[in-house]
Amino acid sequence: MAVRKFTGLQRDVLHLYRQWIRLAFQKPSANRQNFLNYIHLEFHKNRDLRRKDFTTIEYLIRNGQKKLKTFQNPNLKNIH
Amino acid sequence: MFRSLLRANVARSAMISQGPVRFYSPSNLSKTAISSRVIDVIKSFNKTDASSSNPTEITMESSFKKDLGLDSLDTVELIVAMEEEFSIEIPDKVADELTSVAQTVDYIKDHTDAS
Repeated sequence: MAVRKFTGLQRDVLHLYRQWIRLAFQKPSANRQNFLNYIHLEFHKNRDLRRKDFTTIEYLIRNGQKKLKTFQNPNLKNIH
Repeated sequence: MFRSLLRANVARSAMISQGPVRFYSPSNLSKTAISSRVIDVIKSFNKTDASSSNPTEITMESSFKKDLGLDSLDTVELIVAMEEEFSIEIPDKVADELTSVAQTVDYIKDHTDAS
């Protein structure tokens, strides 16, 4: 089976996505779906970005990491 | 900085060679027990082709992408669901390379202290 290797930037996006999904599992299970919906929405917004649009993708990754830090606050238990 | 680099290298070679370098004792769950739980996790993950109206059979050989119709983001999500199910953490480097049910089961069996 041919394994398609991801580019570095694609891998960065996947790692960011993984961190967000892990975050959702740290929140109270009743609110987990809210977090998952939010994550899906945010990532799907930029789904159709061109692969070569490096600056935009890099910007979005940085932005996502910053937001992740905010969301990691344990006092943040739910989003709407 | 260099220490973490070294550790990643060792972890990687351990995974490839299946040699004696282990960081966990191999899980004492049987392979069949792990496979059935892995398949249950996939079944409850409602984005796979297996959960559509015309379900695809999940076998050990099923590939996440080709047989279950998951994209790369869905695969990431599925692997995190596995981590939760077995209370383990799969490092990014390994998780990037898991593409089929069999690979996932083997990794959980040989390299984690899954419970």
